[in-house]
Amino acid sequence: MISFEGIKENFKFIIIETRKQLNATLEFFESPDPSAYDKIYSRDDYIDNLKTIIENKCYARINTIKNLPPEEINEIRAIQICCVNLERIADNFVNMIRQMGHLEDQAFINQYHYKEQFRKIQEGLDRIDSVLEEKNMSDALAVCKIEYELDTMYKENFDRIMEELKVGINTQNLITTLFIFRYLERIGDSLLNIGEALIFAILGEKVKIHQFHSLRQMLSDTGYEGSIGDIEFESIWGTKSGCRISRVEPRRMADSHAQGSIFKEGKLHKVRSEKANLERWNEQFPGVAPKVINYQEDEDYASLLVQYLPGRTFDEVILSIDGTRMSDGFHLLTDTVSEQWEESRQENPVRTNYVEQIGDRLDQINEVHPEFMRFEQNIGSARIKSSKELLEFCSRIEQEIPAPQTVLIHGDFNISNIIYDDKRNRLYYIDLYRSRDFDFVQDISVFLISNFRIPVFESEIRDKLNWIIGNFYTFSSQVARKWDDKEFEARLALALARSFYTSTRFELNPKFSKEMYLRAHYLLEKVINHKQRGDAWETFKLPDFILYY
Amino acid sequence: MAQTDEFYYESVQDTETIKEFLQSLLDGLEKGRILLSSNGNDISLQPANLLKFSVKAKNKGDTSKMNIKISWKKPRPVNITVDNDIEISS
Repeated sequence: MISFEGIKENFKFIIIETRKQLNATLEFFESPDPSAYDKIYSRDDYIDNLKTIIENKCYARINTIKNLPPEEINEIRAIQICCVNLERIADNFVNMIRQMGHLEDQAFINQYHYKEQFRKIQEGLDRIDSVLEEKNMSDALAVCKIEYELDTMYKENFDRIMEELKVGINTQNLITTLFIFRYLERIGDSLLNIGEALIFAILGEKVKIHQFHSLRQMLSDTGYEGSIGDIEFESIWGTKSGCRISRVEPRRMADSHAQGSIFKEGKLHKVRSEKANLERWNEQFPGVAPKVINYQEDEDYASLLVQYLPGRTFDEVILSIDGTRMSDGFHLLTDTVSEQWEESRQENPVRTNYVEQIGDRLDQINEVHPEFMRFEQNIGSARIKSSKELLEFCSRIEQEIPAPQTVLIHGDFNISNIIYDDKRNRLYYIDLYRSRDFDFVQDISVFLISNFRIPVFESEIRDKLNWIIGNFYTFSSQVARKWDDKEFEARLALALARSFYTSTRFELNPKFSKEMYLRAHYLLEKVINHKQRGDAWETFKLPDFILYY
Repeated sequence: MAQTDEFYYESVQDTETIKEFLQSLLDGLEKGRILLSSNGNDISLQPANLLKFSVKAKNKGDTSKMNIKISWKKPRPVNITVDNDIEISS
């Protein structure tokens, strides 16, 4: 049986060998000697082998021993990542030596600063083993930090060589030297991977270093004084929106009421608008959206620490509870939505862009379902419009029927963006970064189709989904009638076409995705037929059977 | 090798919108020519003479299905050699 101690022993060796490689390379720089060259080459083979042995042992231990504690699995995974990167570092030393051969004068390189880089790398290599043994977070971060330092030093040499190249002499020596320094910079990248793997071994969670810094900054801003190693950091979901979301809470919760929080990190504009929206929601409808605890931004990224809301997503709850409780949850939803719509309603006409939203996602749909584009066809005298023509036609029609009012919409009113705490009968909204004043039909359509597109076909569950769809549609139609929104059904037809069509990109079940694609086309044709008959838009009737599966 | 020209169309319709397609087929049957085209490829069908016509219907659970199939063979040119002048004698 492969022992963990055995793996650790090998791991110590690969670190020692990499360190030897570093020293030999440094010596070679100072006094190039063919025998040293051979030694470095042969040690590289040894390091390669060692890496393979350790990798094999790591996989074997994880695969053959049942019920390994999660901490050990994390540590083994971290060791494996470290080994791959140590081997890469060792390779880069060999690459540097090889490049030395292209120098016309091997002493040329000595006029530049490089010893400090070697010293930094050595410092990083020296820390690895102890970080893993002692789970010391600040040492792990110190390993990560070396990458930044090596980058800065590389930049200095780079700028100097660029200036010298302008003179036009020593070109070969200068370019070769630059290549050599580039390898030192790459070693920094590998050290960063090692540092992140070490953080993973400590936290049990993959955290990119820039996410880690923002999280730490936020925790200290919020008055958290403990060590970051005492924090549970659980990734909740990798979202489609490109944001990374994790749940953060104290590791040993003595106080059961202690609240966790959600750490969200992503592109600056998305996170920034989510923060602004959360603040607006909290002001207008307190208690529906999570509170912002902290916010940080840098050039491209921003991160947000928000209150963690207890409960499960609405679909999870609804589909697992009985009819009476489902009905309670549903009425809480319509009460919340109704208040939100009534209170934020402004009678300003707004042009919608449902058809355009399809166009924006056509490439993504095409990638998944290239066959979901209809060409022009003729059956005798009956002409079938192509998808492109339908979209162009409907886009023009959409301009004729602006929404007569706006409300504060959620913006991505997907059933899984609603959190429902069925024990306390509380409901919350999450993922509000697209929230704005807009036509309520946008939210209605997204909500309806987010139920429709759940790929569950057992009749018991389907009946529940159809119940939610039918009741939400009826509720929305009543609001539209109350507001005298006459073209509600025509706008909803276009918005539903959008939701059906674009939902196909998340659905690989060929029959189900085709069903949504065909329904989208049916709705677009229906709107066009209405227009071609010259009927008034307020007489358009949404064929509501389209909503049920 | 026999040439197979194919045309395929699939959609969802309601009883109102499907009428246009069925009417177009009826017109074609009357004229003896149905033209189908898809993405620049034309297929012409000439229903004539003896047509095989079958209707298949089925209710299975919550799904109902009705297949209407019309098929025929292109009439083979028949070489008429019978001369009016031939005398048939008993």
